[in-house]
Amino acid sequence: MSLGVKNVEIEPAVRDLRNRTLARLPGDVSRLVYLASSRDLNTGRYSHDGIAFHFSENVASKAMAACHAEIFDRLVYCSLEELIEELQSYISSTAERPGDVLQSWKRLGSYRVTIPSECDEMAAEIFLSNVKIALAILQVRQESAF
Amino acid sequence: MSQLLPYLGVASLLLVVSALWARQLFLTRKSRIELIVSQKREPTSGSSASHRDHGERIFDLGDWDFVSRNAPSEIQEMFLRERAILAISWLRRTRARISLVMRAHVAAVGQIDDLHLATELKLALSYLVVLTLCDLLIAWIWLRGPVRTRKMVGRTLRTMSWLRGAFEQLMARVSAEI
Repeated sequence: MSLGVKNVEIEPAVRDLRNRTLARLPGDVSRLVYLASSRDLNTGRYSHDGIAFHFSENVASKAMAACHAEIFDRLVYCSLEELIEELQSYISSTAERPGDVLQSWKRLGSYRVTIPSECDEMAAEIFLSNVKIALAILQVRQESAF
Repeated sequence: MSQLLPYLGVASLLLVVSALWARQLFLTRKSRIELIVSQKREPTSGSSASHRDHGERIFDLGDWDFVSRNAPSEIQEMFLRERAILAISWLRRTRARISLVMRAHVAAVGQIDDLHLATELKLALSYLVVLTLCDLLIAWIWLRGPVRTRKMVGRTLRTMSWLRGAFEQLMARVSAEI
C-alpha cells in the first residue's frame, strides 16, 4: 500500500493506523465505512483513541483523513467488477442479512456519507454512480439466488 | 479573385480570434470577483484522485464489457445512462476549468505591453479547438451515449489530452515570460 502522504508528521500515525486497525478489516469498503464512521459529521474531524494516545488528537485526525482519501481513491479507480467484490465482502462481514443491507444502502443511500470531505467533486460523482450500479447488480444476483 | 481567398481566410480567422479575445477581456473584467470565488471553491485536498484523469475512468470500456456480459438489459441501460451523465459532467467541468485558466491568463496578459502575438494566437486557437471538441463530445454523448461512440470518444480524448498538454505548455511558457 502506498500513501501519497506528504506530511512527515503524520506518517508514523498513518503506518500505525494501517497496520493495527485497517489491516484487520476485510476489504476496502469495510475500511471506508470504518473511517467514515469515525468522523464527526458536525466538525469533519476523525477520532481514534489509540492513535491519539500515541501521537495527538490532531495527528490522529489527519492520519485518518489521509487513509480515508487513499482508500476512497482506490475504490474510485478500481473496476466495477472489483467494486462489486469489495461490496460483497463488506456485506458478508456484517451480521445482517445481505438482502437487508442492500435494501438499506439503496433506500437510504448510506454510502453517500462514506465520501471524504476533502475529495474532488468529480471523483465523488464517479464513486456514487459506480456504487449505485454495483448495488443494482448485487441485488439482481441476490434475487436470482432465491 | 481565387488568389485572394487564402488572404481572406487568414483575415477572417484573425477577426474571429480578435473578437474572441475582446470578448474574453470584457468578460474577465466583469467577472473578476466571480473568478476569485470559484478558485476558492476548488478542492484543496492532497488526494491523488484529483491528479488522475477522471475522463479515462469514465470512458474505460472494461466496466461496459463486464456489465454487458453479467447484467440484465435494464442494468445495462442504467449503466449507459449513468456513464453518459458522468461523461457530460466531466466534459463540462473540463471546459469550465480551461475557460477559467484562459480568463486568468487574459487578465494577466492585459496588464503587459510586449505581447508575443504568435504564441498568443496559438494559445487562442488551442483554446478554441478544446472548447469546440468539448461541445461536440457533449452533443455526441447526449445523442448516442458514451459506449456507442467509444471509438470517437477515445480518439477525441487522445486529441483533447494532447491539446490540453500543448495548451498547458503554452500557458506555462507565456506565464514565465510575463
